[in-house]
Amino acid sequence: MIALQVSKVTKSYDKDPVLRGVSFSLEAGERAALMGPSGSGKSTLLNCIGGIDRPDEGEITIQGRSLKGMDENELCQIRRSMVSTVFQFFHLLPTLTAAENIEFPLQLSGMEEKERRELLPSLIEEVGLSHRSHAMPHELSGGEMQRVAIARALSIRPKLILADEPTGNLDSATGEIILDLLEELSERHGIAMLLVTHSPGVTRICDRTLEMQDGVLVDQSTAVV
Amino acid sequence: MGASDSNSERPAAIGRLLWSRIIWRHWRREPRLTFVLVGILALGVAVFLAVRLANKAAVSGFGMFTESIAGESDFILRPRAGTLQVEVLRQLRDEAGAVPVGIFPVLEVSAALSERPENGLLKLLGADLVALQNAGTYAGGGTSVSGDSAGGDDSILGLPDRGFVGAAFAKRFGMEKDEQLSVIVNDQIIDFTIAGVVPEDPNRPAVPDNLVLMDLPGLQKLSGLEGQLTRVELRIAPGTQAEQNRQRIGAAMWDLAAAHGWVLETPEDRKSSVTQMSAAFRLNLTILSGLALLVGIYLIMQAMEAAVVKRRAEIAVLRSLGVTPAQIRAAWLWEGLILGVVGAIAGIILGRLMAVGLVVAISRTVNTLYYETTTSAVTLETGEMAFSLVFGIVASLTAALIPAREASLTAPAQSMRQGGQGGGLALLRNWPLGLLLLVAGIAFAFVPPRVLASGSIVPVGGYVAAVVLVLSASLLIGLLFRPLASLLGRGKRDAMRHYAASQLRRPEGRHRLTAAGLAVAIGMSAAMAILVASFESTLTGWIQQLLKADIYVAAAGSNSVTNENTLSAVTWQELEKMEGIAGMDKLRRYKVSIGDNDFFLGGADYNDDPERFLQLMWLNPPKVKGPNSLEVRETEPFPGWISESLARRFSLEVGSEIPLPTPDGTKRIEVTGIFAEYGNETGTLVIARNLTRDWFQDDRVSNMAVYADPGADIDALLEQIREAFPGVVARSNENLKAESIRIFHQTFAVTYALEAIAVIIAVAGLGLALAGLLLERRGELTTLKSLGATRADIARASMWEGIALAGAGLVGGYLLSFLLGWILIFVINPQSFGWTLSYRVPWLSFIGLAIITLITAGAVAWAVGHRNANLPGEREE
Repeated sequence: MIALQVSKVTKSYDKDPVLRGVSFSLEAGERAALMGPSGSGKSTLLNCIGGIDRPDEGEITIQGRSLKGMDENELCQIRRSMVSTVFQFFHLLPTLTAAENIEFPLQLSGMEEKERRELLPSLIEEVGLSHRSHAMPHELSGGEMQRVAIARALSIRPKLILADEPTGNLDSATGEIILDLLEELSERHGIAMLLVTHSPGVTRICDRTLEMQDGVLVDQSTAVV
Repeated sequence: MGASDSNSERPAAIGRLLWSRIIWRHWRREPRLTFVLVGILALGVAVFLAVRLANKAAVSGFGMFTESIAGESDFILRPRAGTLQVEVLRQLRDEAGAVPVGIFPVLEVSAALSERPENGLLKLLGADLVALQNAGTYAGGGTSVSGDSAGGDDSILGLPDRGFVGAAFAKRFGMEKDEQLSVIVNDQIIDFTIAGVVPEDPNRPAVPDNLVLMDLPGLQKLSGLEGQLTRVELRIAPGTQAEQNRQRIGAAMWDLAAAHGWVLETPEDRKSSVTQMSAAFRLNLTILSGLALLVGIYLIMQAMEAAVVKRRAEIAVLRSLGVTPAQIRAAWLWEGLILGVVGAIAGIILGRLMAVGLVVAISRTVNTLYYETTTSAVTLETGEMAFSLVFGIVASLTAALIPAREASLTAPAQSMRQGGQGGGLALLRNWPLGLLLLVAGIAFAFVPPRVLASGSIVPVGGYVAAVVLVLSASLLIGLLFRPLASLLGRGKRDAMRHYAASQLRRPEGRHRLTAAGLAVAIGMSAAMAILVASFESTLTGWIQQLLKADIYVAAAGSNSVTNENTLSAVTWQELEKMEGIAGMDKLRRYKVSIGDNDFFLGGADYNDDPERFLQLMWLNPPKVKGPNSLEVRETEPFPGWISESLARRFSLEVGSEIPLPTPDGTKRIEVTGIFAEYGNETGTLVIARNLTRDWFQDDRVSNMAVYADPGADIDALLEQIREAFPGVVARSNENLKAESIRIFHQTFAVTYALEAIAVIIAVAGLGLALAGLLLERRGELTTLKSLGATRADIARASMWEGIALAGAGLVGGYLLSFLLGWILIFVINPQSFGWTLSYRVPWLSFIGLAIITLITAGAVAWAVGHRNANLPGEREE
């Protein structure tokens, strides 16, 4: 089943084209690395897929639902239920504990407390942070923070995870562990992942690589692990 | 360039560069914020200046009215009680001998406009117009009050119904020469003709707008005070011998005054001793007026701190480029200085405008409670302008100090990371110091008051205690965040509410600063509300206790503490005989002086009713009870009851003796009881009216309480009295009570306005603080949006945070207000005014203020959140 379909998406800022007719798709459970130099349009594409930004033309469909024509609230609903993002700088809410950060999207989606309480331990367990669940973000290491961010992304059982340089702020050993975790979770839950990266090492967990240049997808090759 | 290259010009050049490239550009980019900050500072300075100017104008409105006509006298001779006899003039002339001195006899009489007897108290001034005409000899050119310059004529000499008015009077009532005015003098209505209008003279004070100048014999005849004078003014002729003559006359008159028990004083002494009476009232008002600026300081501190946080990356780059911490600090202080200058200048202009409205309100209160004053024109002197300018700049620089320090502490390494520090004064986290200040504040309240050389009492300990408690509240406010966060986060149903609560669990400096500013505003305003409620409750109880009669009859103008209108014996005797009247209590009130202190003497009779004397609210009741307890002795010392204010001013207690000056010589009065009185803070001594009647040779009364026959129709009786005696003011019990409460609220009108301004500024500060916080949390907002939070969700989180902050401010403010209220009621008020009040918290008003503050804060915070939710997110690519 197609998890993500991007069709002829264009986007300009002040008449300066950033995306020029980008098209590709991701199957459920498929992982793709989006690579390219700075300014090639990777983050803009990610923002458009996440519903943070809107394409000027073209269409983005997630699990069969087109984002085109959706109002702000509908886009928020998509982010609450189908698409999660993992950031380079983790972006944990600094005033919430690790567990509260993971719980937060569930609260946003209106899940009852009882149900949340049942789900939460397994999410924490899944990223191996049971012993750190009450720690504040500033008390966690980079790797732990990214685990929390991943668990938070997983919490809503998304169809698609967008990962923006997920290992970019981690040392290489920790980065490897995080990549393994992402791969494992993607396979276990059948979640499609689009990973923006500069690092060729990230491609090892990806089924294929998408290469962008000047807003155009120049290459869609299958990864050789 | 190495450090060794620095020369004397370089720091200045860097300073200019920082100012022009960093500070100035920032404010230009944020014109609205700049405008709001300058506006807040301007408002704070304006309120402070307006109250100062209005206070000054209200005091300068008190004048020896002849000073505006004959020029200022060198000496004033007046009796300690009653009036002087006209024969005193011969004695004075004899005493002066060959020394060239102008002797001006004066009689002052109260009057009221017959159409508006309670609002238009007039002062009729009787002077020897011929002597005034010759005043030029003494004053270097006196104002002409007859002939062409005043548009009048000489035919008014000796006439009881003609007089001159000043240009302000003519303008106020829209009257011209030869027009008629209907006035009440004592209990008679007189049609008065304006003989001329005294032109304004730029070299003299303006003639007050309530003054009517008459020929002395005419006024004596009109008021029934033939041969009597209120005072005599003496003016030494100018010339080379003037100072020598002044000393000779001063010495001679001093002996004469001492021998006769008169008071000899200079106009300055007189003005100072009279206006001193309202000093405490004016000081309290001035302190309250500083509240807006105090809250403004918190606000400016927040805004400048927000600017530091926002520009932290910029500062870090500057630091990387070699700008020193001192230069960064100087740049921020310059910013504070310039904000202060601009804000203060705007505040001076605004304050001058506000003072015009305020002076009317303050003059009204001073008139009601203290002494006769006219609404003077507000004058803005250079000294006041300079003071306000310095005040505004100091406030702004104080606010800039902390942010400037914080900016200077920014490390160069931070240039690559978004600043996540919330800033704020580290001191605000020091709650143990807050506890220490709390204890110290309470201890200061017990420090005895300071008695000044003038005799006025300043509750220094009370004021210091209030300031220390305010500081303590600022430090302790942080302790409220955690419990409030628990309360807000309870249930966790609403993710955004939970998120808002989490912000308070780890409060930043700005949270503390905002809540502290709000707590100070709420605390001081609520403390004033406690004072007003306690005052109102006590006053209402007092009025209920005191006003038991069915009808109250007084001479016109009884609203003013200086009214001297009286009812003649014929009037009250006829009134007493009217059908339907069961009995009357009568009071004759005089102003008397002991030393430099004036107070009121009341001659009272209680019409032989065994219950009525109980109507006074006793703080120390007399041992001898019953209607005639004031009349039980036939020899000195005579019994007398004193008000609490008098007891405080003269340090009297039951058993003390008072040497009471009377026209019949000094009489000894023994204090047998002390009662509460809230009508004036001058103080009152009450003795039997038959004594004052004999000593003052006066059977007139100032006011009466009338008791109707059981079952009588009060309204009909009231109508009957008004018809039979059109020159008196008759009011029903309910009407007088309502009027008393109205005057009470009118007295506090200025304080209500000042409190409202402070709370508005504090809530505006909350909005600014949240805007700053959200700006700092842009990264978080991006995260929230990526997690699916809508703009409305972010606005809601901001709203909850705002409500929680307002809640902290309210809880802290109310706790502070209970302590400040206690200090106001049990320390400052009794020491300043001599009034015992019962402590009362206006819970309903508190709930109302809390609801309004929470709703306003919630709305402001929601709007800020909604606006900031769409800020562009951070780009990390």
